[in-house]
Amino acid sequence: MSRWLFLILGFGIGLAGGLYFAWLVSPVEYVETAPDSLRADFRADYLGLIASAYVSGGDLVRARTRLALFPDLDTATELAALAQQRLAAGLADTEASALSQLASALSQGPIRTPVPTVSVSPTPSKTPRPSPTRRPTATPGAAFLLTSRERICDPLLSQPLIQVVVLNAAQGSVPGQEVIVVWDTGQDHFFTGLKPELGLGYGDFAMTEGVTYTLQLADSLQPVTNLAAHECEGQGDEPYLGSWLLQFEQSP
Amino acid sequence: MGPGSYVFERMQNKLAPLIFGLVFGALIAVAYGWLVRPVEYIDTSPDSLRVDFRTDYVLMVAESFASDQDLTLAQVRLAALGPQAPDEYVTQAIDYALEHSFSGADLERLNALAIVLRTLPQPGGIGPP
Repeated sequence: MSRWLFLILGFGIGLAGGLYFAWLVSPVEYVETAPDSLRADFRADYLGLIASAYVSGGDLVRARTRLALFPDLDTATELAALAQQRLAAGLADTEASALSQLASALSQGPIRTPVPTVSVSPTPSKTPRPSPTRRPTATPGAAFLLTSRERICDPLLSQPLIQVVVLNAAQGSVPGQEVIVVWDTGQDHFFTGLKPELGLGYGDFAMTEGVTYTLQLADSLQPVTNLAAHECEGQGDEPYLGSWLLQFEQSP
Repeated sequence: MGPGSYVFERMQNKLAPLIFGLVFGALIAVAYGWLVRPVEYIDTSPDSLRVDFRTDYVLMVAESFASDQDLTLAQVRLAALGPQAPDEYVTQAIDYALEHSFSGADLERLNALAIVLRTLPQPGGIGPP
C-alpha cells in the first residue's frame, strides 16, 4: 500500500516539476514566428504597413506576396473594413487611404502573376518586379469638378446617404480620394474605394435627419452645399428619407 | 498482475516507487505539453518575427518612408520590433539584404532610412555645446 502511495506521490511531484520547468524555469519564448501569428492590433498595423508600402511603390505582386502570409485573410473586404476602422478611430489618414487603394486594387481581379503559396518565406529580392500594376488614379494637378447632383429615393437604403462617385479624366473610378463633409457642429471625412463591391470610386456618408451638410473633395476647391436628407414618397403614402448621389470628374 | 506490481517486486525500498512515479509523471507532463496540447503561436508581437519576415517588415517601413518621408511614423513602426535603437534594426535588415542579394532598389531604400535615422541624436548622447 505504501508503495502505491509513494508512486502516486512521485507521480504528482514529477507532474508538478515538469509543469514548473515548462512554465517558469524555461517558459516558451515566441521566436521565429510568422506574421499570421501576430496579435490582432499588430496584425492590423502589419496590414497597414503592407498597404503603405504598396502605395509607395505600386507593386501589387509584392503586396499580394505579403498578404499571402495571412492565409485566413479575406483580403479586399478585410482591408476595406480595416480602413474604415482606422478612420473611425481617428488614426493616420494616409494609412486608411493606402488600405483603401490596396483593397480597390485587389478587388479588380486576379493579375497575371500567380499568388505565391503561404509556405514561401518572403524574400523581397526574389519577388518579380513587373511594371507597376495599372490602376485608376487621378491625374496630379487636374481639378475634380461636380458633374452631376441627383436626389435618390431608394427605399432599400436603411438610412439617407451622401453617395459620391469619383472618376478620372478617362472615366475610370478613382479609389482613395478623400472626401470632407462639414456641418454646423462638426466635420468628418471618408475615402472612396472602401466599398469595392459598389465601385472603386464610390464612397458614402450617412446623413442625420435635419442636418445640412457641405461636401468637398480634398483635391477640389469646389464645395457642394445644401445637402440634407429629403423626403421621398414611399409605398402606401409612407414617406422616407432620401439620399444624394454626387459624381465628380477630373477635368482633362 | 500489472506492470506496476512487477516493478514493485524489484523495488526493495520506498524511494524506488517515488522515483518511478516522478519520472513517469514528468514524462506524462512533457507528452501532454508536446503532443496533446502543444504550444500555439498566437498573439505574438513583431519582435518575435523570424529574421526574413523582420527584414521584410523593415523594408516595408523603408518603402513607406521613401514615399511619405514621415520619420516619426517610421520610428514608431520600427519600435514595434523591440527595444533596440531603430537604426540598428535597419542595419540588421541591410546585412540580411546584402547576404540574400536583395535588389538594388530595396537596398537603396533601406540605406536611405538608415542614413536619416543615424543623423538623429542618440538617446543619452552628448549634444553639441
